[in-house]
Amino acid sequence: MDFDPEDINIPESLTYWGLTFGIALAASLVVAFLLAAALGGKKGIPRYFDHLGEGLRDTFGMSLRRVMAISSLTVKESIRKKTLLVFVVFAILFMFAGWFLSGANANKDLQLSVHVSFVLTSIAWMVFPVALLLSCWGIPEDIRLRSLHTVVTKPVKRSEIVVGRVIGFSLVGTFVVAVMSIVGYIWILRQIPPEIAKAELISRVPIYGHLSYLDRQGQPTNKGLNTGDINEFRGYIEGATKARAIWKFENLGESSLRLNPATQEKELLMENSMQSFRTHKGGIDDLVESSEEMEALLLHGQIVLENPEKNLRVSLPQFAIREFHQNLNWIPRKISSTDEETQETKTYDLIEDLIQDDGSLIVEFRCVDAGQYIGMARPDLFVRLPEKPFASSYFKSIFGLWMMTILVIVMGVTASTFVKGPVATLLLLSVFLMGTLFQHFMEDMLAGNLKRSGLFESGIRILTHGNPEVGKEGSIEESAAIKRIDQGFTGFLKLASNAVPNFNTFSFKAYTANGFDVPLRSAILPAVFSLLGFLLPCFLLGYFSLKLRELEAK
Amino acid sequence: MNNLDSRTRKLLYFGGIILLSIPIIYLGRPSAGMEQGSGGKLAQLRSEYDLGESTLGQVDPSSATMNLVLLGMRGVASSVLWNQANEEQENKNWASLRATTQSIIKLQPHFRKVWEFQGWNLAYNVSKEWDDVRDRYYWVKEGAKFLKDGVRQNENIPDLYWYTGFILGNKIGNSDEWKYFRKYFISDPDVKKWNGGPDSDLNPNRLDNYLVGQIWFYDANKVEALPGIEQHRMQQMLFRAYPSHAQFGYAQALYKEGQFNEQSREAWELAYELWTREFGREEHESPGGFIILESTPEDIKRLSERDGVSEETKRRWTNSYQDRCQYRFWRSLAALESEDLAREARRNIYDGKQFYRDQKFRESQRLLELGMEQFERLLLDYDSLKGEDQIIEDALMTILYWKSIHDVRDEEIPAEYPLKQFFDQHQSRMESVEPFFRREIEN
Amino acid sequence: MSTQPAIEIRNLTKIYRDFWGRPKVRAVNALSLDIQHGEVFGLLGPNGSGKTTTIKMLLGLLFPSDGEIRVLGKPATDVKKNEEIGYLPEESYLYRFLNAEETLDFYGRLFDMPAAERRKRTDELIKMVGLDKARRRQLKEYSKGMTRRIGLAQALINNPKLVLLDEPTSGLDPIGTREMKDLILKLKSEGKTVVMCSHLLADVQDVCDRIAILYNGELKQLGRVEDLLSSQDKTQIVSSTLSAEALKEIEEVIARHHGTVQEISHPTTSLEELFLQTVADSQARPGQRFVADEKISSESSK
Repeated sequence: MDFDPEDINIPESLTYWGLTFGIALAASLVVAFLLAAALGGKKGIPRYFDHLGEGLRDTFGMSLRRVMAISSLTVKESIRKKTLLVFVVFAILFMFAGWFLSGANANKDLQLSVHVSFVLTSIAWMVFPVALLLSCWGIPEDIRLRSLHTVVTKPVKRSEIVVGRVIGFSLVGTFVVAVMSIVGYIWILRQIPPEIAKAELISRVPIYGHLSYLDRQGQPTNKGLNTGDINEFRGYIEGATKARAIWKFENLGESSLRLNPATQEKELLMENSMQSFRTHKGGIDDLVESSEEMEALLLHGQIVLENPEKNLRVSLPQFAIREFHQNLNWIPRKISSTDEETQETKTYDLIEDLIQDDGSLIVEFRCVDAGQYIGMARPDLFVRLPEKPFASSYFKSIFGLWMMTILVIVMGVTASTFVKGPVATLLLLSVFLMGTLFQHFMEDMLAGNLKRSGLFESGIRILTHGNPEVGKEGSIEESAAIKRIDQGFTGFLKLASNAVPNFNTFSFKAYTANGFDVPLRSAILPAVFSLLGFLLPCFLLGYFSLKLRELEAK
Repeated sequence: MNNLDSRTRKLLYFGGIILLSIPIIYLGRPSAGMEQGSGGKLAQLRSEYDLGESTLGQVDPSSATMNLVLLGMRGVASSVLWNQANEEQENKNWASLRATTQSIIKLQPHFRKVWEFQGWNLAYNVSKEWDDVRDRYYWVKEGAKFLKDGVRQNENIPDLYWYTGFILGNKIGNSDEWKYFRKYFISDPDVKKWNGGPDSDLNPNRLDNYLVGQIWFYDANKVEALPGIEQHRMQQMLFRAYPSHAQFGYAQALYKEGQFNEQSREAWELAYELWTREFGREEHESPGGFIILESTPEDIKRLSERDGVSEETKRRWTNSYQDRCQYRFWRSLAALESEDLAREARRNIYDGKQFYRDQKFRESQRLLELGMEQFERLLLDYDSLKGEDQIIEDALMTILYWKSIHDVRDEEIPAEYPLKQFFDQHQSRMESVEPFFRREIEN
Repeated sequence: MSTQPAIEIRNLTKIYRDFWGRPKVRAVNALSLDIQHGEVFGLLGPNGSGKTTTIKMLLGLLFPSDGEIRVLGKPATDVKKNEEIGYLPEESYLYRFLNAEETLDFYGRLFDMPAAERRKRTDELIKMVGLDKARRRQLKEYSKGMTRRIGLAQALINNPKLVLLDEPTSGLDPIGTREMKDLILKLKSEGKTVVMCSHLLADVQDVCDRIAILYNGELKQLGRVEDLLSSQDKTQIVSSTLSAEALKEIEEVIARHHGTVQEISHPTTSLEELFLQTVADSQARPGQRFVADEKISSESSK
């Protein structure tokens, strides 16, 4: 894994959402009030409050029967509009996909991840346009053909139309996702040879620890060394020095153990995938034959389990670091260790002696070879709980995709309440692109990580042919006034950027393709919260736009 | 124009469309079949300039489909993918990198640079990132297979044959890990898949890696010699020397592995043969007309008459081109190594070093001295080689071993010994040779 | 309730604006009208006179620029009023991919009707409008007349007190037109209030109790159909074959108040004539409009 799964902080997220939503809501209420007072004259203000009251009534007094009537109408409409032709495209894609993928990788675990990513990506790319077009064109077409007239002249609340449409399209989207995901699942099972599938088609369930480092003098540091990688994700420690990588795992206990097939005992399984960096190539001049000898040529690491409460340190045997492979360390329940000072050999119990009372375990890792380096990031060493079936991870990824589909539908229906079909489609497409491809750029820019990137500053610089790399002191574009304007503008953009969901949140592909289960707190919950966070604002926006507009298509 | 009614206008447009279509349809008629010159002008031109997809090499159906699907967007799409590949490489996401390169060449199956760059990237840059030698070998193979696939789809690009040969010959034979790689080329480390034999995608006949490379170089030369085709790697003469160089590499590798037998003798004799009879007898174009590297006075005369330049000019350019490809050095070396005495000397020195490593210093000293003496005797006949780096380094290295035995046994170095003159003459080189010696004896 | 008219329109104005908010068209101008319970009221006018705009404002589809509307005592934007309203749009804007049963069931659900009641009502209405044989066919296969009929059935699904019909007979053949008119009269007999707008004068003449003529968004005429069409100062004699002498004689006889008169009645100008004349008047004297008499204003002030 080349990223760090971070757990969601629920109170913090809720506060942030509440604040942003609150500010936006308050701002729109104030603006609406001022507009009503300015344009509506004497009647404006009472009417403003009428609408607010009606809004509350329409939100809470929806009739399930009417909502379901509109939903089922929407489903029928989507089907009769030949939406399901998307399955034909999907089928064609999968008929030929074998050509593209087979043989791309002779390496089996790589092949697996390519197949899984392919399925998840193509489902996303098939479902997205369907969701986009359906949701963006539904209401505008209804208005254009005036069929909506026959609906709104019945006792139907506008809120019921918005919700009914959303539910209807969601049902269609759900059906499409469901069919495609099942086909995709079967396809993966058929494409992967059974002997590989058995070993590789699994969902690993990791427990990640918290990682800290000691430098070569043994002093705590929060970062390892950089050995020249562009990506600074991993920090390296030097071999045969006091440099250490220390993971602290929480919530371990009897239930974290699993059966080791070799010993038939319950043991703790750790997996590592660290990286080696050599300053010299080592003994490759003499040919060795056996794989044990080959293994000996690799860099070696060693784990020391530590329990500060009992002042215990237990060293485990050294092991080879085979890069980009899954390296497993089985830690037995009973560990014998020789005390360095007293030379006394004692046997310790993993659960009783080494795991602390609060369930935490400290794992200290060192690189054995002098002058060589081993690099690691937090997810590079983890405790592996018993695996779940591949379906668990796969269908969680599908669940993520489904949530994305729903979000697109919700946003599409919302957009279609105030603009026409083509405009809504473009609007949503832009939001989607911003929320996927340009998400990083946007975050960087708003966090101020991009130097000299202010809007007005850059604008002037373009006109004056200035150089953004060096800048020019005393120029207009770098004056305090322009800086202040840009700051204000960035502040506004920061608020506005909350309207753009990070669609990457919904992609759990990286987990499933790498054979991991999708974690609840660092992947599923953030996605669920993102989706929920957008529901209420979208509903309010869609409801009021539909309510406050004339439904005559002109 | 505007006062025409809508129907007239539509009729006019329609007429215009038909009028314009006639030449297009006429020119673009598809060719009727295999015979040349059938079909419309475009079809004729296409076959004349070999622009048809199928004339470029084997057509990959998925690639053709993909290009149709993307219509005009494939340039953009492949640029995006290229960026993605770079990012994946930075993140060491090798599986995705491999898949992405595959997608890129689906989009650009006839873009030479894409094949060259990514094939090289896999065999060199990706390979070196892996710590396990077996993994490194896997990625060298990936690079070679990638290029081989490029050859299959682009039969008329000699560069791609050359790169494939270079990775199989030089990357495998000259890396730090050459001992492993050469062994793996004969018996793949993925025993499960290849049953202890070679990866049959690359080496179906279980040959030496240099000899497989040589086949590729020959193919490269064959294609390069076709009319209208050129390679973009280097001067044409140097390009054409590669089959012979592969033979040199093979012969030298046998020596490095301690094989001083009939096989190595034949290897060197063939190397001499290829260098002087095959490569040396080819005509190469120079500013002074065509030259032959291994030319007799009659050749010079004939060529100068044919090209209408003076014999002096011919001789000058022949000389200059010989310098450029170190023609005389390789010829002398092949001649020297083909001699039985040379093989004796090499064997003695090789065995002497082995004894040194096993700390059997007396044996070692005896063999080294014997080898040095034979070496000195050999060089009497090959004066021109005395100044060549490779020879000097070999000699200095041997002397260093021999001297070091004296150090170990705390003995005086005798005043006179074979190659002494050589040793004194090249003192300035010690600085660069000594680290190699240290490394050799440390391992 | 009974004292209050079914529809009250006060000073209703609708101005269409362009993108920049500049007034473009004044579609309805200061219209005031009351429509009583139980009457069949016709809104008459040429194309673009503001009939449909008025109807749409009554339904809350368009928002008035000025003035007030109360429908069944509720503001036009209140969706609750729709529970007692049936609306037949100008053309059939129904969902063409549904069949007759599905259509009626769908609209029934919009009235929150329970399933059993929906089934019963659907069945009744389909039979009433004579679509029993076509109840399972998708609406896109329907002829124009069938579409109007299912449209009407849809408007009556909730057994409304007030029915708004936009061009109810457009596109119908003479028989269909007759049936539609009979239906309207039937609705009237059931005590429903019917508001219809049309430019087909014959329809209005036959079924409406009162009509209003709109032109250029302004109310030009309003009153009972007979009142508007009768001319008190003229007499019409209809007779069978008469010779020239007889005619002369009749004139003499009439002059002397003698002889056999077969029929003497108030002649009716055809509505068409009235309509054309109103339009001609409006063009001759733009800006003049019919102002509701004191009766209405005094009534509404009670």
